[in-house]
This record gives sequence, structure tokens and C-alpha cells, in this order.
Amino acid sequence: MSSTRDSSAEKPRVRFTLNPGTIIAVCAFSLTILGLTILFSASASLKQDPYSYLSKQIVGAVVAAGLCFVTSRLNLDYLRRYAWVVGGISLVLLALVLIPHVGIAVKGSKRWLGYGAARLQVSEFAKLAMVFCLAHYLALNQTRIGELKRGYLYPLGIIGAFAALVMREPDLGTAALMVAVGVMLLFLAGAKWRYVLPTIASVGLIFAMTVMLMPNRLRRFTAFLDVEGNKQGGTYQLYQSLAAFAAGGVDGAGLGQGRQQINFLPEAHTDFIFAVVGEELGLWFTLGVVALFAIIFVAGLLHLRRAPNLFQFLLVTGCLLLICLQAIINLGVVTGVFPTKGMSLPFISAGLSNLLLMGLLVGIILNTQRTWGRVAIPRQARSLEEVLA
Amino acid sequence: MSKGFASNYRIVLLASGILVSFIGLGARLICLHVVDRGELMQYVIKARRQIIVEHARRGDILDVRGGVLATSRTLMEVGVDPQSLRAIDEAKWPQLAELLGLPVAELRKILTTKSKKVDPVKSAGTALLAAVGPSAVTPAARPSAEDINGIFDLSRAMEKSPANSEKTEAAEDEVSLDEEPDANGLRLIRYAKLSPHVDESTYDKVMALGIKGVYGTRIYSRAYPHNQLASHVIGYVNKAGVPAAGIENYADFYLRGQNGWREGERDGKGREAAQFRTREVPASDGYSVTLSLDMMVQHIVEEELEFLAKKYQPQKATIIVSDPRTGHILALANYPTFNLSEYGKADPASMRNIAVADQYEPGSVFKIVAAAGALENGLVTPGTRFDCSIEKIEYRGSVRSLPGEDHHFDHPLTVAEIIARSSNRGAAQMGMLLGEKKFYEYVKAFGFGGRTGFPVGGEVGGTLAPPEKWDGLTITRMPMGHSVAVTPMQMHMGMSVVASGGLLLRPQIIREIRDASGEVVYRFGTVSKQRAFSERTAATMAKLLMGVASKDGTAPLAAIPGFEVAGKTGTTQKLVPTVDSKGRTVLRYSEKHHVASFVGFFPASRPQVAISVIVDDADAHAPGGIAYGSGIAAPSFKRIGEQLIQYLDIKPAYETPARGPGLLALEGGRR
Repeated sequence: MSSTRDSSAEKPRVRFTLNPGTIIAVCAFSLTILGLTILFSASASLKQDPYSYLSKQIVGAVVAAGLCFVTSRLNLDYLRRYAWVVGGISLVLLALVLIPHVGIAVKGSKRWLGYGAARLQVSEFAKLAMVFCLAHYLALNQTRIGELKRGYLYPLGIIGAFAALVMREPDLGTAALMVAVGVMLLFLAGAKWRYVLPTIASVGLIFAMTVMLMPNRLRRFTAFLDVEGNKQGGTYQLYQSLAAFAAGGVDGAGLGQGRQQINFLPEAHTDFIFAVVGEELGLWFTLGVVALFAIIFVAGLLHLRRAPNLFQFLLVTGCLLLICLQAIINLGVVTGVFPTKGMSLPFISAGLSNLLLMGLLVGIILNTQRTWGRVAIPRQARSLEEVLA
Repeated sequence: MSKGFASNYRIVLLASGILVSFIGLGARLICLHVVDRGELMQYVIKARRQIIVEHARRGDILDVRGGVLATSRTLMEVGVDPQSLRAIDEAKWPQLAELLGLPVAELRKILTTKSKKVDPVKSAGTALLAAVGPSAVTPAARPSAEDINGIFDLSRAMEKSPANSEKTEAAEDEVSLDEEPDANGLRLIRYAKLSPHVDESTYDKVMALGIKGVYGTRIYSRAYPHNQLASHVIGYVNKAGVPAAGIENYADFYLRGQNGWREGERDGKGREAAQFRTREVPASDGYSVTLSLDMMVQHIVEEELEFLAKKYQPQKATIIVSDPRTGHILALANYPTFNLSEYGKADPASMRNIAVADQYEPGSVFKIVAAAGALENGLVTPGTRFDCSIEKIEYRGSVRSLPGEDHHFDHPLTVAEIIARSSNRGAAQMGMLLGEKKFYEYVKAFGFGGRTGFPVGGEVGGTLAPPEKWDGLTITRMPMGHSVAVTPMQMHMGMSVVASGGLLLRPQIIREIRDASGEVVYRFGTVSKQRAFSERTAATMAKLLMGVASKDGTAPLAAIPGFEVAGKTGTTQKLVPTVDSKGRTVLRYSEKHHVASFVGFFPASRPQVAISVIVDDADAHAPGGIAYGSGIAAPSFKRIGEQLIQYLDIKPAYETPARGPGLLALEGGRR
């Protein structure tokens, strides 16, 4: 690994080139800054201290940046030895959350561990832990990926263990995200189509049944099909969100000029913050946010070409998917494409746990940017370049 | 694109799926921001736009000394949004019920009724109006305050404030609903009235309970602290906020003020978002109206009326007290009367301002017209004698029969005696001396046959036929006050002509208008309509009228020792329907029903107050079964006069000033 670094060091290049890692870091930084701005703007009309959200979020962002830096300096291959420990601790913590008086419940969902204001949403970190374990296991069992038991059912069991605990909180959104990311990793690792397709079908069936069996969830689910008609009932929040985008128009109402966050739009600071962006900053900024996430994804894809082994390939893919899928689900919910599901927008929504997780995820990507070196299989142009050199 | 850890097509499949999602999101955003914008904006505007009316405080009505006759109290209307009630507050409901004075069960019913079935036609109507409401107010078409009121009232869903129009009360049933019904045709109740008015200290206690969803709106309510006092003059503002009668109605332009409004936006909870306010027009409070009425005099008068009512049980009665030099009314009261604070319970008949809205035949009081006319024209002097025993007289070539006399006069009467002893034939002969045309002119000059200009109470002008329509007997009857009908106010102002030195003044009830800061914006001075006769004649007439209240006159009971009381009694037979020999119902002068009156002023040489007492049909309980002006009205005059002497500090006027005081006062007061 160090040999590749040496060869590049020989060239008289500027140290900070426009590599995928830098692009992702810049995008993540831009989104965080936008998040802080819009969070402050959305807090301006709060009765209590308008700085309360902003100050917490700034603290979160600084801690996340530190976490990002530390993660980018760790030796992932060393950490990999403790994959099962990390996974085990995560599962224990997830189980602790469910115990009354240990887990902190807000609005009927037990999701937090901690004391006082300092509390963390365990499931956020469990997502990364699951990806870590899964990448480790799949890399170990590369050759047995075709087998039903060791190549498919065991990894599915890992996913299931995490998702089931999260589902108990209940936090269906995060559980669904976990299952989706997990299955995608399985799929990329080479799981057979004949295993993957039935899994997708049965997961869909289980999800549908869960929804059907909980009447209020069903109502929430079906309400989004007729947003206008259910305005006073299930989709009030969503309709307010859609109205915010319309109110923003192309140019936006201007920072601090948004109205929807003043008691029209519930969860304006967290899950529905993108609607505030839509109203205050308009079409160009909302498209810009989507574009930034897309750029993160594309840059990540380009970066993946240099992955030295399956473990790191799957780990980075998992990190990318955790960022991008979560963004897609949140944006889809806020714009009324998906049924309403509590999920925060990476980098932008107020919330310490998510911000810290994003720090970890970006840190892992930067870590690999630092360690992966050049493309494993050079393209023709590159080889020609090298020949010429 | 990939290296060997995952097959290329799997990555491409997954990556393209995710990229398509991003592109889809972009398309959806364009859709929301641009394409669907118009449709969504309609909702946004409807949900945000609001106009809040700031109610102007209606001005006070004060008496001449600043005593409050009508005022606006600040009250809180307490209502509830049943949708935002919390279960944990339920324990506090009984306390709330107690504070609001509601039975707990009723309160529970209001709080738990969360939706209301609306019939589609009506709801379509209100929905339409609600839709028209906010959009109708655009900067281009700036509404007047009234328009705003209308919009505001109709789209009550926008703003939870008391309704000030009957329309609203009828349409809203004291609740306001969500704009759109749900699938079952039920509309959520967003506001239900709990109590129409609680005072501010009670409201503070209600708020201290901290029940979410219960809140209040400041309203002004009209209060009449003295209840029935001067009710016919003050009038009232009805429950719908419409000034219905009296000064409230007449001076509404000054009293009502101008409602202000705030145009802007509200937040999701319907509260005003002050930072997005686009226009703010402050309310300007109404002006206060100071009446010429004196609460104390009014009280004296009403006590007297009460006394009369108790003692004689008349059909109706009126007393007017004024300052004859300026025409300012100091008191005006009628029996029957009503309580302003409970106008809703009052008998409509009791709300009638008899003093200006009813007419009666004035009888002997009217004799002052013929006497003043004859004196002014030099046809008679106070000493000129008339034979009052003759029954017929030749006039313009024909023999006319003279009216009967109530007393027998064995010698020819001087003009002074005709007035003092109220001779019908004497008055008739003076009228004949003047001639029909001239006499008619004097009747007009005294203000009869036309409205006095008293602004409230639905004044009528009385009944006076022009000479061309008179029959042969009219000239013998009108000088004694028959064949003519006047209002008590006309008679009062007619007598005041004598007191004011010959000037016919307009009766004034409003003295001045002050703005909210207390500056006088308009002053109502003395308005002289015309000169009826000279000051000399007026002085002579005053002297003659003093004879009435002497022991030789008809009304010794009106005399106030030490004071020169001038006045004239009147006792008129009422025209009552009777069945004649042919079975037809005709109006006949009744022997059993009379209007007893005494109209006068004092001190005669320097008049300070004019008082009219007119009692209709007090015969049943009158001594001797006939209600004479001398027996019933004159003592009232005296009782009132004696109290006024103390209250107004009226001095005995033996040291008569050289010039008529009326004129002096006029010059000071005229504008």
C-alpha cells in the first residue's frame, strides 16, 4: 500500500487534488453549512431562544468534524478485527434502549440512550455497525457467497438481528433503511438472484403486513395517496410541506422570510427541514441539495474503483448508501413521493446522532481516500500517460 | 467502472437506480416549485392571509357636568378551540365552569363537541364567502372600514373575534368551523363561544388555569350605568352593535369611531405573525358626546314622573326642563319609561319618546299665542277688557258661536285676567281681533306646525291646518288650543319664546363633541330660528303669565314663594272614540279623559328654567274625577321648581336687570 503512495509522491503534484474524497468532503461541508443557516432561519420565530437549535447543531457539527478526522486516521484493517465486538456492543445497546427507564422515550418511541440533554440515538450508529459487520462477514465468506446458508441466510441473519431490534423501538423507517442497505450489499457481494428476489418479495410482504396490522400506520400510509383530501387528518404535515415548496417558488421567499415553519409545518427543524429550504431559498437551492447528494454518490462510485479488497469495497459502499438512501427517502417523504416516515436529512436536519454518524461515514470515506491510492486496474489513458512519463 | 469485487452489471443496476431516484426527486421539485405552484398557493394564501379588525372604542355619552350616561366597557369574550384541548386539562374543567358561571355539564358538552354537521347548501354559501373574504382585500382595491367589517365578519374562520353583525350571529351559531368538511360532511369546530363576556379579572383567572385551547378576545360592550335615566334621550346600541335609538343613533357618526385593521399573515395556529404585517391602520376611538342634559335635573324630573305615575296612574306623562335663554334641554323624561340596560325586555310602547313623538291638543296653554299677537300688534293692552259672557259674536259678516267657559265671569275681563283666569271666550276674541291670517302667522312664529328640530325620538310636527282649510269655528277654537295638535316639545319651546324675550330657539340636547383626547371638536350653540315678537311684548307676556300662578289665577299651586313664576295651565278634553246614535265610531271630546298640563318658567323677569309638565289621562285618580292642569301639573311644576332653585342656585329676581337676560345669554352663546 505504501508503495503506491511513494510512486505518487514522486510526482511534483499539488497535495490536495480534486479527488473523490475531497469532493465528498466539500459537499458534506456545504450541506452542513446550509443546514446551519436554514436551521437558524427556521428558529428565528421560535418563542424560546432562537439560538437553541443553532448552538446545539454547531456543537454537533464540530464534534462530527473531529470524529471525521479521527476516523479518517484510523487503520480500518486493524479495526476489522473487532468487527464482531462492535456489532455485539451495538446489539446490546439496541436492546438496552428497549428496557424501560434505561431507554429514553419521546412521543412513544424508545430510541435514545444518555443522560439529560446529552443523548444519542443508538440506531444511527447501529446502522454503521451493521454495515461494518456485514462487510466483514461477506469479505470473509467471499467464496461461499453462492451457498444458501453461509452465503445468504447468515448475513441475512445479521441484518435481521439489527433490524428487528430497531423495529421494536419502534422505528420502522430506520429498520427499513437497514434492510435495504443490507440487501443491497448482499446483492453487490454476489448473492444469487434466486435468493435475492424472494427476499425482497418477502420483506415487502412483512412490511405490508406490519402496516396493515397497525391501523394508524395504514392510515398514514394510504393518506399520502390523497394528500389534498386528508389535509386535516394524516397528511396535514405533508400538505404543509408541499405548500412550502410552492410558496418558495423559483426564487424563494428569502432567508428568514419563510412562514411554514411557524406552526404550519410540524418537525420543521428535523425531518421536514428541506421544506423550509424550499420555501426560503427556492428551486435552485433545493435542486442544489439534490445535486450535492448525487455528486457525493457519483464521486463515491468513482472512488470505489480503487477499492483494494471486498471488505473495504463493501464498507465504503455501505457508507455511501447510508448517506444517499437516507437522503433519497427523506427528500421523497418531504416532497410527497413516499409515505411519511420519520427520517432526518443527512447533514441538514437538526439532531446530534445523525450528524455524528455522518461524521463517521465521511471519515471512513476520507480514510479510504487516503489509504487506497491509485486505481487498481488502470485505464488505457492512464497507462499511456505512465508510458509517456 | 468496477474492479472485480462486484460484477459490473450489479453495480450499474444499483447505481442507475439511485441516480434515477435523484433525477426523479429533481423533477418532483420542479413540479412543486413551478408547475403545481398556482394550485398550492391558493391554499397557502387562504391559510395565511388575514385581516384583524381592531375595534374602535365607542365614545361616551356624558351629561353636562361630565357624568357618564353611556360608556363602553372592556370585556373578554371567552371561547375554545375544541381541537387543541388536552386530556390532562380535563381536571380543571369544573373550575373553568365555575369561573364562567356555566353548568359543568354544559361546558363539557361544548368542549367535547368537536365537529358539526353542516348542510351542504349553507356550507357552500359560507365557504364561498370565506373564499371571497381574504382575496377580496387586495391592495389595489383598498376597502373602507365597513367593507373590512363585512369581510371580517363573514370569514370568521379566519379570526376569532366577537361578531358585531346580526348576519354573523345568524350564520355562525356562535361557532366557527373548518372550511372544508370531511368525508362524512362533518366540519371540525375551531371555535366555540363559552361566555360572551367576562370581566378582565375573571379572564385573568381563566387564563391562570392554563387550559390549552381556551382563550379570549377583547370586546367592548355598551353600558348604561344609570339604567332608565334619560333613556328616551340616550337611546341604546342593540346586541348586533347597531345604534338603535336616541343620541346613540343620532350622534353615531361621532360616537362610533373608526375601526382600525391589521393586514398580514397568521401562523399555523391562527396567531398573528407580526413580523409579516403589511399594513396597520390604528383604530381611532369614538368621540364623546356631552349632552346639555343635567343628570341631577333629570333625576329630579324622573322622580316627579314616578310620583305622578304612582299617584294618578296616567296613561302617559312628559316633563321637559330647559334653559329658555339658550334652548338647551336640561331634562326630558317620559312616563312610561324603560331600562336601557335591559332594553330587550322593555315594552315597545315604553320606548316612545312622547315628548316629541306624540301630539295632543294644547288647550289653554295655547292662549299665549293670541295674547302675544294681539299685544304685539297694539290691538290690545294688558288692560283692554273683553266681555266674556257673550255666547255669540259677529265676525266677518257672520255670527259665530263662542266656546263655553269653565267658569262664570260676571264682568268683562282684562287681557291680564283672560290669561290668569284662562277665559276661552277672551282668547277667542283676541284671535278674532288678529284675524285668521295674522293669528296663523303667530301660531307659526311660536314654532307650531313644524318640527322643533329636536334630534332624537322621531319627532313629529304636530297638526296645524292653514287658514284656507279652516271652518267657521276654527278662529274661535284655535286661540284656546283646540283644532290644533302639538307635541309637548313644541309647546315647551313655544312657552320658551316668551321666556327668551321673543326668540324662537331650536331645542338643543347636545352641548359639545370631544375627541378621544378630550379636545372639543364641535360645540352646539344656541340656534335662533326666528323672532316671534318684540322683547317688550315678551316682558309684558311674562308679567301676564305671572298672574296665572297667583292666588287669583288658575294655578296658585304652581307659585313658589319668593319667585316670579310665569306659566299657563291647560286642561284639554281628549278626543276618544265613541259610538254615536247611528252606531258609527266617531272621535268625540270626552268629559272623562283630559290632558292636564302646566307650561311655565321662572323667574319671570330673568328666566332661568322653563318647565313643562304634561300628564295625559290622569282623571281616574284625580280629585273630583277630572285631571285639571291646575290640580295635577301645576303642583309638579312647583315641586320641580323648588328643587331646581336649590340645585341650580336660582336667585329670587326682584332686582331686575335693565336689559333682558335672555338676550345677554344669547349673544354669548351664539356662533
